[in-house]
This record gives sequence, C-alpha cells and structure tokens, in this order.
Amino acid sequence: METLPVTQSPPDPEPGPDGVRVRLPRLRVERRAMLWWVLRALLQWGLLLAALVVARSLWEPARVWLLAPAIAVAAIVAVKLAVEPWWRYHVHRWEITEQATYAASGWLVREWRVAPTSRIQTVDAVRGPLEQLLGLSTLRVTTASSSGAITVQGLDRRIAEEAATRLAAVAELVEGDAT
Amino acid sequence: MSAATGPGTGSATGAGPGPVPEAAPATPASTDWQRLNPRVVWVDLAQSVLSLAPSLVAIHFVGLEPSLSALWPLALVAVVGVIGAVADMVRWMFTRYRITATDVERRTGVLVRRHRTMRRDRVRSVDTHAKLRHRVTGLRVVTIGAGQQTGAGESALFLDALTKGEAARLRALLLDRRSPAEREAVQSADRTGEAPAPAHAPSEPAADGGPRTDRDAEVFATLRPWWVVHNMFSIWAYLMAAGLLWSLYWFFAMLGIDLLDIATAVADRASLGRAGTVALAVIVVGLIGALAMGVNFLTSYWNFELARVRTGDTSQLRTRRGLFSTREVGRDESRMRGLSIGEPLLWRWMGMSDTNVITTGLSLWNMEQPTAILPRGPIRVAHAVAARVLGSPSPFDAPLAAHPPAALRRRLWWATWVAAVPATAVAVPVASDAAPTWLLWAALALWPVALLGAVIAYRALGHAVVGDHLVVRAGLLSRTTSVLRRDAVSTIAVRQSLLQRRLGLSTVSAKTAAGWGAYEVPDLAAHEAVAFAARAAPGVLDEFVVGAPEPEEPVAGASGQGRGW
Repeated sequence: METLPVTQSPPDPEPGPDGVRVRLPRLRVERRAMLWWVLRALLQWGLLLAALVVARSLWEPARVWLLAPAIAVAAIVAVKLAVEPWWRYHVHRWEITEQATYAASGWLVREWRVAPTSRIQTVDAVRGPLEQLLGLSTLRVTTASSSGAITVQGLDRRIAEEAATRLAAVAELVEGDAT
Repeated sequence: MSAATGPGTGSATGAGPGPVPEAAPATPASTDWQRLNPRVVWVDLAQSVLSLAPSLVAIHFVGLEPSLSALWPLALVAVVGVIGAVADMVRWMFTRYRITATDVERRTGVLVRRHRTMRRDRVRSVDTHAKLRHRVTGLRVVTIGAGQQTGAGESALFLDALTKGEAARLRALLLDRRSPAEREAVQSADRTGEAPAPAHAPSEPAADGGPRTDRDAEVFATLRPWWVVHNMFSIWAYLMAAGLLWSLYWFFAMLGIDLLDIATAVADRASLGRAGTVALAVIVVGLIGALAMGVNFLTSYWNFELARVRTGDTSQLRTRRGLFSTREVGRDESRMRGLSIGEPLLWRWMGMSDTNVITTGLSLWNMEQPTAILPRGPIRVAHAVAARVLGSPSPFDAPLAAHPPAALRRRLWWATWVAAVPATAVAVPVASDAAPTWLLWAALALWPVALLGAVIAYRALGHAVVGDHLVVRAGLLSRTTSVLRRDAVSTIAVRQSLLQRRLGLSTVSAKTAAGWGAYEVPDLAAHEAVAFAARAAPGVLDEFVVGAPEPEEPVAGASGQGRGW
C-alpha cells in the first residue's frame, strides 16, 4: 500500500493533557499604538456617528428612525474610545525568534498565532497615513496560506523595519517552496 | 494533419545518435513554433451551422411564418456562430506554441500580443478535455497548469485545440519530471540498447523514453451506475428543469405552439384546485429536474475512473470521465496535503458524500471541481478510496475525540439568539395588529429548529491526530471531515472570543497553503487547545510551550529595547 510522500516528522511531544500552556510573547507594542487605535476608531465610527447626527438635524421626518442607530453607534464609539485601545494594549504582544514568529492580538476575540520561519514567504512593514503620523508601523508576515498572515500592529517604525529585514534574511536561508 | 503530431521528435533526437554532446538541446521536444490544429475553425463553423438546422427545418418544411419574434433567436445564433468561427480563425492564425528544453511558450493575440513562458519544471498538471465536437474530430483541449494558487486560473496555459495524439505526447513529455540530462541519458541508452530497459517497453515514436501511458495506472475507483441516485436529488434539479422547460417553450414557440396554453388547459381539465395544481407542478417539475440531473450525471461521469498514475518519480491522482465531452485531470500527489469528505445534512441518512483533495494549485471555485476525485456517492466508497490514497490505516477510520459539553452550550446560546432576532422583529407589529399572529408563531417555531441544528452541529464536532495527519470534523449543513498532513501546517492559531472564554473553550486553526487555507477545530476545551495545537504542528510551538502557568508580566517594556533575538 502506497502512502503519501511525507517528510519525516519528529516524534510527538505527547504533552500531558493538562497544564500545557504557551507563554506570552515577550514584547509589548508601543504605547503610542493606543493613540493610533483611538484615532482609527474616531475616523471610522466617529465619522459615521457624525454623519448620523447631521442627518438627524437636517432631515426632519427621519428623526425617529435615526435615533436608535445613532444611540447604538454612539455606544460603539464610546466603547471603542474608552475600552478598546487600553484592552488591546494589554493583549497585543509579539516575539520573533530564529525558529518562529509569534504574536497575540485582539480584544473581544483574542488570538495568538505562530508561524515557523521556514514557512514565511513575505515580510512587509506597512505604514498607513495615521501610522506615519505617529511613527508607527505594522509588521505583516505571510505564509503560503491564504489566511495565515500574522500582523503585528503598533510597532515603532524602526523596530518594524529592522525586524522585517532580519526576518527576511533568516527566511531566505531556509530551503523548500514554503508550502 | 500529420504536421501537428510533433514533427520535431524524430528529427531532433535522430540528429545526434550515439553519445550526445552536452550542449545539444537535451530534449526530444520540438523547439519549432507550432500551430494549433486548424480543424478547430471548421469544427466551430460546422457547429454553428448545425445549431441553426432545426430552425431552418422548421421554417422550410413546416412552412412557418417567419415573424420577427420567431426569428430573433435564430438570427442571434447565426451571428454568434459566425463571429465565433471568425474569432477562432483569427486565433488559430495568431497562436503559436513551442516546447523547448526548459520552457513551454505560447504566443497569441491579435491586437494585444501575449507571449507566455512557463518553465517546464514548474508544470504541475497537464489536463485534457474535449467537448463532443472535439471528440468527433479527434481534438483535445490541453490545459497546462503550473500549480497556481487558488483563484489564479488565468495563469494556466490553454491550447485549444490539438490532435488527440499530440495532446497525449505533450502530456507525457511535460509530466516527466526528470532533468533534461537524465531524460537524454535514458533516451540514448534506449537507443544503443545498453540499458537494462524492459524489453516490452513500447517504442512509440511520439513518446519519449519516459512515461508509458497506462501501464503504471493503479485504479482506485470506477463508476457504479447506482451512484446516479446520489446525484439526482438536489435543489439544482429545479434550476435544471426550469432551464429545460424554458428552452422547450421557446423551441415550440418558434413553431407557433404555446406550451403554456396547453399546460393551463390540461390543469383546468384536471380541476385540482389551486393548491393541488401547485403541488402537482412542483412534483412534476421536480421529477423532470431529477431525471435531467440523472442523465446529466451519467453523461458527464460515464467511464469515470480514478487512478494513481506514476510518471518518472512523480505520481498523480488522475480522473477521467465523460460520455460526449471527456475530461481528464491529473493532480500531482507531491502537491497534495490531504483529503476532505463532506456529508450533506439532508442526505446523511443515505450515506452521501463528496470527496475532495486538499491540494495547492487547484481552484476550489472552479465549476468543474478539479479537486473532486470522486463524484457524489456512497461514503463507504469514499472511505475505501481515502484509505488507498492516504495509505492504511486510514485517518478517516480513527476515532475522533468529542468536544466538551460547553461547546454544545455555546451552540445552544447562538441558536437561541438567532431565533430571537426574527421573533423580536415581528413581536411589535404583531402586538399592534399590524401583522397576523401566525407570523409570531412561525418565528417562534424557528427556535426548536435552531436548537436541533445546534445539537447536530455539536455532534459533528471531532478532532484527532493520527500518525502524520490531523483530522478535523465540523459543520452543520455539510459535516466535513478533513484530513490534513501535519507537516503542511504553516501557521497555527488559537482563538478565543469572550463567550468562549467564559465557557472555557478555544478554537484551534491550522493554516495551510492548500485547499481552503485554514482548517479549524472549533471549541476545544481551552486547557487542551495548546496541547492539541502543539501536536497538530509538530515542533512549531516548542519554544513557547511551558508546563507551568504562564509568567504574568512581559519581560520587556514598550520601547522594544530588549528584542527577543
């Protein structure tokens, strides 16, 4: 009976069922990132709220119908300004080692991701207009998977660039087509 | 059209008998630019003429009044046919292809000239298909794929069309993954008779020394006619019937017969009342659709065969099928990362299943479903084939770990919320008599259905690590069991929403380059998630796993002074 060509896999770690955890990534993101999240929320939800308020004041017959959406959006804006940045700052962490890239993110839905360096295909440091203003940068590490990118938001521009360069250099050494 | 069947093959290699000089183009392929087969043009022209025939017959012999309304479809078909034939002619005139020692090249286009070059060692698949008109004239459409990512189907290289022999030759040539030097060595050895080559090796002049077409095929499955039962009943049957009836209606309308009138007359005479008529119509149309689906299935899967074919040191899973139009697809096994078997909810009782390979470079969105290695059929067959493809013991037979009851609770919560939305939406209008009361009852009736769905979804959950494979089962409408090679996992992610955090659950997601890109294990017990993730992607988490509870504070400050490396 033929089997698929499988590369050798190391023996199972076979960890005990319980008590196995991952430690947190070592590094936090910049404190300035909180400001970035605030500005981002203002630009997205704040503008929507402003539009609703303006529409309500200008368009008489729609007042009743726009009240509920306006209140809902106002609540979202309040949470996004008061809670999200602070919460994200406490969750977001990252770490890059020789073997892997490891990052934790999210607030209501938290997630951590690990990608081995051998699978990395591209490394980008992305800077949007707001990030440029704050001297921040987002590190984006992609693998061959269409849904496998690891993004680390709110890094200092220099740190992100340096990390991208070094990661790209390390990743290049690894053989194979990284799928 | 002997010119099209690889003229260079004999001459190129025949030129250098005996020891071959290193610098010579070490390939038996022709390096001359070649044209597509000119029969393509005539075939398309003939087809458009033929498609006009019934209408012409109708006009001539039935003596039909050539009114404008009856003629416009006719004119449309004629115009489309002529345009198509002219376009084909132009395409044929301006398309050339060649295969050199290292590349496959094609030039095409009139106004926008395209020159596409594909490296031969990147070629992952050479698929052929033929519509009826191609089969009658002995032509094949060849698609050369380089293992593109999902959605990049544009970058495949089409040759429409070549003769059957030329297509087979191309296929054999391109899928031989040996290096040109090796190929040449085998060739010259064959020629001088030094090689311990098997005496029964056929000496086809068209094929090079490597692959023989069917000798190495290991057949896994062939069509069983009763599979047609699995493919007759689906919601598409109604679409199919609608299409059929619509074209029938138009055809008879051209002859001046109004089918709709006849149908209403028949319905009136039967006098079933409105509900009865509707019910009868639904049943009749459904039956017509189911029959059409059955016929469609049989014609497109006639002669179906799934086989493993070895060429050189590569092996492919090859399917071939079709009665009138044939299709042959080879899937490189070195690109395969696993298998997935889906069982649609409504038909699970009869063991219906869809079997797909998880592989890089084949689009999941393609209508022809190149990833499906079996037609929809019984799950026993799917499991048997899976065992042969993956090797036994098959990971599909492994017992799966159940998920904690909290996962059920999460689903029940969601079901309740989902049912609550329409109920609250209609509650106010019903209370103020703006809507009938039954609407509220209907909305409330959703709740038990949703709860039932939650239980079914919970029972579908399962996961395991079996040998080199990760097994994941989930899904409500289609319970899908996916088996993924563990060394194919390129990123591992563990996710937890607020509700999951309360319930002590986590979702582990194995990301890979193949198939859907991510295969998820929803709602594991949170304390098992890390251990499972570590086993799903061996070695990846080693550095970060600790036996004891995690340290509370991160080591470095925000300014990133102490970088982790």
